[in-house]
Amino acid sequence: MLIYFLRRVALTIPTFLALMFLTFVAIRLVPGDPVEVRMGERGVSPERLAMLRHQLGLDQPVWKQFLDYLGQVAHGDFGVSLATQQKVLTEFFTLFPATLELSFFAMMFAVLIGVPAGTIAAVRRGGVFDQALMTISLFGYSMPIFWWGLVLIMFFSVSLGWTPVSGRIDLITYSFDAPTGFMLIDAALSDQEGAVWDALRHLILPAIVLGTVPLGVIARMTRSSMLEVLSEDYVRTARAKGLSPFRVVGVHALRNALLPVVTVIGLSVSGLMAGAVLTENIFSWPGVGSWLIQSIFRRDYPALQGGVLLVSMVVILVNLIVDLFYGLINPRIRHAR
Amino acid sequence: MPADVALAAPEEAAQILAQPSPLVAFAVAFRENRGAMIGLSVLAVVVLAAIFADVLAPHAPGEQFREFVRVKPIWAGGTWAFPLGTDGDGRDLLSRIIFGARISLFIGVSVMAFAFLIGVALGLLAAMAGSVVDVVVTRLMDVIMATPSLVLAVVIVAILGPSLTNTIVAVTIVGLPRYVRVARASALGELPKDYVTAARVAGVGPLRLALTCVLPNCLAPLIVQAALGVSDAILEAAGLGFLGLGAQPPTPEWGVMLADAREFIRSDPWIITLPGLAILITVVAINLTGDGLRDALDPKMRRG
Repeated sequence: MLIYFLRRVALTIPTFLALMFLTFVAIRLVPGDPVEVRMGERGVSPERLAMLRHQLGLDQPVWKQFLDYLGQVAHGDFGVSLATQQKVLTEFFTLFPATLELSFFAMMFAVLIGVPAGTIAAVRRGGVFDQALMTISLFGYSMPIFWWGLVLIMFFSVSLGWTPVSGRIDLITYSFDAPTGFMLIDAALSDQEGAVWDALRHLILPAIVLGTVPLGVIARMTRSSMLEVLSEDYVRTARAKGLSPFRVVGVHALRNALLPVVTVIGLSVSGLMAGAVLTENIFSWPGVGSWLIQSIFRRDYPALQGGVLLVSMVVILVNLIVDLFYGLINPRIRHAR
Repeated sequence: MPADVALAAPEEAAQILAQPSPLVAFAVAFRENRGAMIGLSVLAVVVLAAIFADVLAPHAPGEQFREFVRVKPIWAGGTWAFPLGTDGDGRDLLSRIIFGARISLFIGVSVMAFAFLIGVALGLLAAMAGSVVDVVVTRLMDVIMATPSLVLAVVIVAILGPSLTNTIVAVTIVGLPRYVRVARASALGELPKDYVTAARVAGVGPLRLALTCVLPNCLAPLIVQAALGVSDAILEAAGLGFLGLGAQPPTPEWGVMLADAREFIRSDPWIITLPGLAILITVVAINLTGDGLRDALDPKMRRG
């Protein structure tokens, strides 16, 4: 087990290095001289330019610059945003809880509906429910979510007036500290009446929008994995033993059917972050996704570079954790090779 | 007993001959799949609309009718001159959606073609060269997959500048790993087999080995990936257009049309609803076709 863990952890190191190399190269491919961008349009004397270059280490050989960059990242220095003059890492951790909260509830939505629905569809294979669910999930994972978000806003916010259009909470009515950055928790801690409910109302549409594609994928995956497991001998044995159908499916079969589903959930993290960019844009959700897009339009390349690096690191880490967890629940994986 | 052999042989031969060729078996399996046939039919309509956009569209996609700004669609009391209504600049929505099909399919197909060629080449190279090349290619793909697709595309567009061409470049790079991984995995499965060794011993060079021995045997999963790759590419390109980082206005690209329509979210829902519906229908049709391809190409999935 330990060897499996160590091997899996070691495998991510070259990926991290490659990732840093690519972000390092990418920032150098951006048109425009970083020093001149920093100084703006005003004329700067060549001596001052040279001095700034030296300060930024841009007069060093490229390999030395890369090593310096690695060293900075290892010390948690992801650069300073040009727009806000704040450390990129600080900005990231201020905004990341918003994205995490949104992604968590999106995934909850997808799993809590997708797994039971996929299971029922597998048990009633070929039935009306099965066919309906497969059609819905097809539309789910084919969904252009930026459009889906607008449609839901038109229906629930504009026509029915049930949910707010944007943001995480009504800032006019409520104001409180954000010790955790998670709006629901902060709202609960604030003791302001109705704050939690208001935060929930803001959260629900974005979470549904972001959870739609994973819902389609998870429902389908659960169904096909469940179908496979249901034809296994041990399920027949459990049935023959006289266990209730609910116990056979819900306990014996589901436990094994969920193994591939766990992998799918892990693989969805990257897609979830991509979806968060669009969802946050539509709902003006102040998270990492909308921050990255703003950084592009502001030409804030250090923020973009650091942000992309951090987001990718999160994805790699989550995939690593899912893999380790998978090894924990599935002995066949950790003993293989 | 030579007599038995003589008797059995023609029967066996007849049996072998009676089995349908792989292509026919594939066509039969595909045709039996109702979903796949529906998907293919819808896709055919979209493709035809894209090809004959100039003939089918009642107006030019960029033509502005100043007196007909935000006309309602025909079922909401509009006029037949603009069956699906007009947008905020008085442009005919139906025409723009038809021309949008051309752009989206063009993006989808070209991304698929480039990503397929480059990805398969890289995958085969990694599998056959092994060692350092393999490690470099695999790690590179890991990084591309670790970076959320849209974020990576956004970064590439930030470097190259937003345009239709750069959208294709960005989405191609984002789409590479699926082909590389499938090609590499199937090639690794194929290479140790005896017939490949035999070909090697006979003096077949690496390029010919890759193209004549390995590639044909891993084509089926690659075709499935290619079909699903088209729909992903369309979605990602539309997403970039929506964020203002893809095709630029006034291009009648579906994502750009949605971004333009956002300001009418409270007043004129159809301007938003229709272009998105076009994306959804196209992507669903391609995914249905792709699923049909997968089921028909994979004999395990074929049911009697």
